[in-house]
Amino acid sequence: MKKLIILVSSLFFVTEAFAHHFYNKFPVTLKGYSGSKTNSVSYSGQIARHVLHDSLKKLAGKGDGGSNAASLEAQMMMYFKGSKEDLDIIAPKTKGDFKIKQTTLNQISKGKNLSGKTYKGIINGWPGQMTGPEVIEFMIKKAAKTKGGFDPSTGYNYPQLISKFAMGAVFYNQSVDNYLDEKMTADNKPNNKPYKDGAHYTGKEHSWDEAFGYWGAASHGLGLDAKQNYNVTKMKDMAAADQNKDGVVDLKHEMNFAHAYYAASYDKGGKTNYYNTVTQAFLDGRKIIAGAKGDALSAKERAALAGHIAIINENWEKVIAESVFKYAGSVYKDIVKLEEILASNGNTDKQFSKYGKHWGELKGFALALQTGKSNLGETAVKLNRLTGFGPVLMNASQVTGVDSQGNYLKEEAQSWGEFKLHMLKIQKLMVDKFGVKAKASDMLSDMADLASKMGNSDSAEND
Amino acid sequence: MTEGTFLTEIFEHFFDPKKRVFFGYLLVSIFLALGWLVFFRNKSFKKAITKIFDIKILFSRSARADYKVFLINRVFMIFLSPYLLSQMVVATSIYYFLHSIPLFKTSHFPEIPANAVALLFTLSYFIFDDFTKYWVHRFMHKWPVLWALHKVHHSAETLNPITVYRTHPLEGVVFSIRGAFTQGIVISFFIYVFGNKVDLVTILGVNVFVFAFHIAGSNLRHSHIGIQYWSWLEKLIISPAQHQLHHSIDLRHYDKNFGATLALWDWIFGSLHHSEDVDSLVLGIEEDHIDHQSLRDLYIHPLKEILQISLSGFRGVKSIFTIFKT
Repeated sequence: MKKLIILVSSLFFVTEAFAHHFYNKFPVTLKGYSGSKTNSVSYSGQIARHVLHDSLKKLAGKGDGGSNAASLEAQMMMYFKGSKEDLDIIAPKTKGDFKIKQTTLNQISKGKNLSGKTYKGIINGWPGQMTGPEVIEFMIKKAAKTKGGFDPSTGYNYPQLISKFAMGAVFYNQSVDNYLDEKMTADNKPNNKPYKDGAHYTGKEHSWDEAFGYWGAASHGLGLDAKQNYNVTKMKDMAAADQNKDGVVDLKHEMNFAHAYYAASYDKGGKTNYYNTVTQAFLDGRKIIAGAKGDALSAKERAALAGHIAIINENWEKVIAESVFKYAGSVYKDIVKLEEILASNGNTDKQFSKYGKHWGELKGFALALQTGKSNLGETAVKLNRLTGFGPVLMNASQVTGVDSQGNYLKEEAQSWGEFKLHMLKIQKLMVDKFGVKAKASDMLSDMADLASKMGNSDSAEND
Repeated sequence: MTEGTFLTEIFEHFFDPKKRVFFGYLLVSIFLALGWLVFFRNKSFKKAITKIFDIKILFSRSARADYKVFLINRVFMIFLSPYLLSQMVVATSIYYFLHSIPLFKTSHFPEIPANAVALLFTLSYFIFDDFTKYWVHRFMHKWPVLWALHKVHHSAETLNPITVYRTHPLEGVVFSIRGAFTQGIVISFFIYVFGNKVDLVTILGVNVFVFAFHIAGSNLRHSHIGIQYWSWLEKLIISPAQHQLHHSIDLRHYDKNFGATLALWDWIFGSLHHSEDVDSLVLGIEEDHIDHQSLRDLYIHPLKEILQISLSGFRGVKSIFTIFKT
């Protein structure tokens, strides 16, 4: 009997200990709630948007060069603007043993779209002075006419541009500039009232959950290491993904999406801990809200939350800055390879397409970085100028604007050498302004490694 | 910084193969000296040992000043080094600049194998480093302000391997700037042209050519063991005796043999002097009004002298203006 008590109590403690790492269950604290729900955590709407985004990215690469343009555009618009009918999940889809539980969007959440949640400000880094939703619609229309999402005449890779920009303009912006910003003030969505009539969660509980949902981490991600979290998104580690061991991956809480995935990708290098830092801050903040037990948050509680919000904002921004850093390095390396191929009179098509893909990722992340809570001011101006409206093309031209018909305008571009220098300056900007640490594809690391190997000569020696 | 790590930092040069006074190189130097005295100077083994470890030289007043300067300078440099110009600052600036020269393209020469690039880099750095050392050293002798500092080194009246550290801290700063520029220039050019194929060929983590220099008895340059090379070799590589002659007080030896490793630069630029029997040389500098072995004069006197030179320079400029006025 004694042994049984020890076993049961130790199991309880183990479960409790694990529960502290999970963002999947918090009690219902709403005062006066008489329904049967026992879990106040809810962010399925955000997961639906992650799936809309993943699917839209996949569709953006399905163009056949023109003949399916109209139907593809219409299909993409449904994933961007939402549809009354249920939509198939195009990505992520079951791959071999990695079985996905949901196959349609309504199995996650009904009636969701991306367009309504896209940053409404002007996107200065993209030609045409368009708002966030206008930029994505514009890109969707262009993408539908391409072959495989890539337009060789401009160097634009639309799946990358759309995806990387949308991750910022929808997820990052909604989370840090809306839910963790105005919805955390005392009077907006208070904790002593339901989020909306009939809800079983409070205003603050649900606002916080929505912010967490946009971050994209799996609810059990804190219990996994960076490589496991990375492989969950890559659909390569079923054991790590399937937390409840039911044989399928529930997109609602067992998948890592968007920036959470990028955080894990940098963390696995060992120099950073973005994934855990941000996810832990979300979890700790949620505990504070649950601890208020349905009362309005006190000034002290809101101050504690503000501390966690600051951690989330700073580290989330760094994850995007790390991505800008990484792809600026990739673009640099691609140009070097293009120069090599040109020097040997080889065919540059394949390398040019790779270059366009990396530039698209750079541009998308650079635009995303500017959709956060704070105005980046001069840093944004520099970043946009250094990146350019388009990559430098093989004929030494570059997109410099769009006309009133939405056609791209091109002009003579800077030299390859100067464009490479821009990439180096972008990397420096990310280090100076955001303090990036993972520094993937660091173009100065070869020099730094060599310098440290040579050692310094800072001793007073007279030969 | 704890006391332990501080002490380790002070004496780390004796355990760092990148440094000349690494105990391994010192041991090799002793064997070389022994070989030279026994086989080329026909001394008995016992006499050779007595000569190498000559107490009068290793513990002369001059040598004792060397040891004190070594300790004081190590402390200086530990605190000063974070503020010195780093080679990365120079390398990055030049690397950026190279991108903006349209005619100078990176091609990264894919056909050249990586080990050839590494060897070329290692050799280029060694030669360029030696070349800049030659010129900085030459300027140290020719420019009064720099000579005021460099005199500290030349005030040694006996030589031992630690004399290499008998240097005014400000001169150490000049050397570190030279090092930063030399490394920065070579690193940036090579990385720009050859990309990540650039590497340093090393033995025990040291540039292979520098290692060879040390193994060949670099410590004997500052010693009383006057190893001489064949005349033809002394035009290419500085022998220990050639450097000892550089420390000679004799007018005939003034401004000769500035080279660090290669004598080539002295040969090309007309400052070469072949070695002579070191035992007949008087070392040091002729300046009677100061005590060259007192720490106070070693550290303070150069500063006073620089101030005097600057003031007289200032008066000179002022007098030019006075001429214009009248």
